[in-house]
Amino acid sequence: MIFPFIAVPLILASFMPLVGRLSKRFFPDLLANLAFLFLLVYSVIIARQLAVEGPTISQLVFLKHDLNIRMALDGYSAFMLMTISLVTLCAGLFSINYMEHYGSKANYYALLLIMVAGMNGLVLVRDLFQIYLFLEVAAIASYGLVAYGLGRDELEASFKYLMLSAVSSGFILIAISIIFALTGGLSFTSVAAGVQALGQKYAVGFCCGLFILGFGLKAALVPFHAWLPDAHPSAPAPISAMLSGLLIKVSGVYAMTRLFFNVFGMNPALGTVLMWAGTISLVVGALIALGQNDIKRMLAYSSISQIGYIILGLGLGTPLGILGGLFHIFNHAVAKGLLFLNSGSIQNATGTRSLDQMGGLAKRMPLTAGTTLVGSLSIAGVPPLAGFWSKLIIIIALVEAKQYGFALVAVLASIVTLWYYLLIQRNAFFGKLNETWRQVKEAPFWMSLATVVLGLICIGVGIFFAFLLKTWIQPAADALTAGIRLGLPGLGL
Amino acid sequence: MILQIALLIGLVGFSVLAILLRDLLKAAISLAAASIMLAMIFFRLNAPYVGVFEISVVAGLITVLFITTIALTKSPSDVKESRRPLIIFPLFFIAFIICDIFIMKALLQAGRPMLPGSPGTQPFGVVFWNERTFDLVGQIAVIFAGVFSVLALFRPRGDKHD
Repeated sequence: MIFPFIAVPLILASFMPLVGRLSKRFFPDLLANLAFLFLLVYSVIIARQLAVEGPTISQLVFLKHDLNIRMALDGYSAFMLMTISLVTLCAGLFSINYMEHYGSKANYYALLLIMVAGMNGLVLVRDLFQIYLFLEVAAIASYGLVAYGLGRDELEASFKYLMLSAVSSGFILIAISIIFALTGGLSFTSVAAGVQALGQKYAVGFCCGLFILGFGLKAALVPFHAWLPDAHPSAPAPISAMLSGLLIKVSGVYAMTRLFFNVFGMNPALGTVLMWAGTISLVVGALIALGQNDIKRMLAYSSISQIGYIILGLGLGTPLGILGGLFHIFNHAVAKGLLFLNSGSIQNATGTRSLDQMGGLAKRMPLTAGTTLVGSLSIAGVPPLAGFWSKLIIIIALVEAKQYGFALVAVLASIVTLWYYLLIQRNAFFGKLNETWRQVKEAPFWMSLATVVLGLICIGVGIFFAFLLKTWIQPAADALTAGIRLGLPGLGL
Repeated sequence: MILQIALLIGLVGFSVLAILLRDLLKAAISLAAASIMLAMIFFRLNAPYVGVFEISVVAGLITVLFITTIALTKSPSDVKESRRPLIIFPLFFIAFIICDIFIMKALLQAGRPMLPGSPGTQPFGVVFWNERTFDLVGQIAVIFAGVFSVLALFRPRGDKHD
């Protein structure tokens, strides 16, 4: 039974205005975070069931009547559900303190819950139009959340995000329409079978190109990245964590790879395009991040760079490359979620995002400084933290596939990544305490708890990576390496 | 064929005008005209359901919403809210709902095939309610997202810390 992943957040969101009338803060905080906790626990239960029973299709039954509402769960979906639930819970806990001054918490949680329902729906559906639909659910909620501060910058960033996202949706919708016209179906099984039977490689290739444009915009791959450095820093910190940690991966990377691997089938040409797009993103993102003074903007450019690593690994298409790419999705979601939350803690305490104005904050905010260091080193790929292993797997996969040039670029970009993350440490936390921040205090309890949990996960995953790879990431990678066999009727989902 | 080309040229022409015209009211009317052209193309392509949706929702409802919004917003130096939209909009809205109910009822009862060109297709009502049931859940979620986003954007400003 996998419907609660959509039903629980949607139903709770619809009651949030009522809950907000009863209590402005306590009940919205409590109910939303209980829902996020439930989703996390339930995703673990579902993943354990999946390990025993294998991939499943669920059909909703209402009053003994079969409704035509079906969702499918495989290793990739379960992996994404757990990642979404984990980061969302931490963002939700962080919001308890952080969103105090924004007003209308019930409305905020309603939008956050709808965004989660959209992302969960996207990873569970097996139909092209439903992919588009849930993509829009998550996107529309995120426009509202980016603009939640109601300042000029937030509204401008949200509008820019909306406009580019509409262009992206347009590309995706056109591609879906053409595929529907070609195959006469929208479900993964009928499209996969139709595409194989048709043999119209140019028409399908054109649609794949449109999908790369559309999902590339959602994933903020260079050169479709212009919206991200505005949208992500402007949003409240927990939403920045959700957008950079989850949304670009779910609505960009997940949707694109699910369609390419399991519906249309990967081929060398498509793989090469993705590898180049990933490499350009990881280099350009890293170099631009190096020149940033706004901490959140630096983190946003870093997201573009890290998405590049993920796409590079997945585009390589070998089992090891896919494993590394998926592992990096999780590691980046956790570490970037942590870093964006910490940037919120810093902004909350000092009122600034400018690295020039910070300095010596580690003395006043030791937890924030410590967890930022852990997240930074993890993303930069320093052993034994989680990010090191995923980057190492991607680089080994590239070397194994004799893609030495791409491997070298990945290593060099990792050094640049370490460089700009050390700049954050030096400018914000180390050195002499800036006198302006003498009265600054550590982040409140819930904000600190959320960041400490994410920091511990970065360390824990780094230590127990072999166990996690085997039990959790490998089934996800297997779903992708199964290729179109997973999409064809009678052979998989 | 000539009519088809004329409709396509009209569609593109009015779409361009909608973007280029600086007067928002004229731009909204151009968009409605483009939408009517598109609906006519849909009818000619034997897709009456899409045509009806295009006319009723895009040319009808959305145009009314645009014009109402334009009528309600003025430049800061000339804030003089007219009360007319308060009367006109509900009237338009009720008229739209009544027309829509009649049209949709007729379409659903007609039992025309959804995609006449392809074999084995179902009537519109069957496709809409039975085949694509899950889409309704997604559409409800989209409406929720839109409503809560509007509520968030038009809420009273709190004492935001940054």
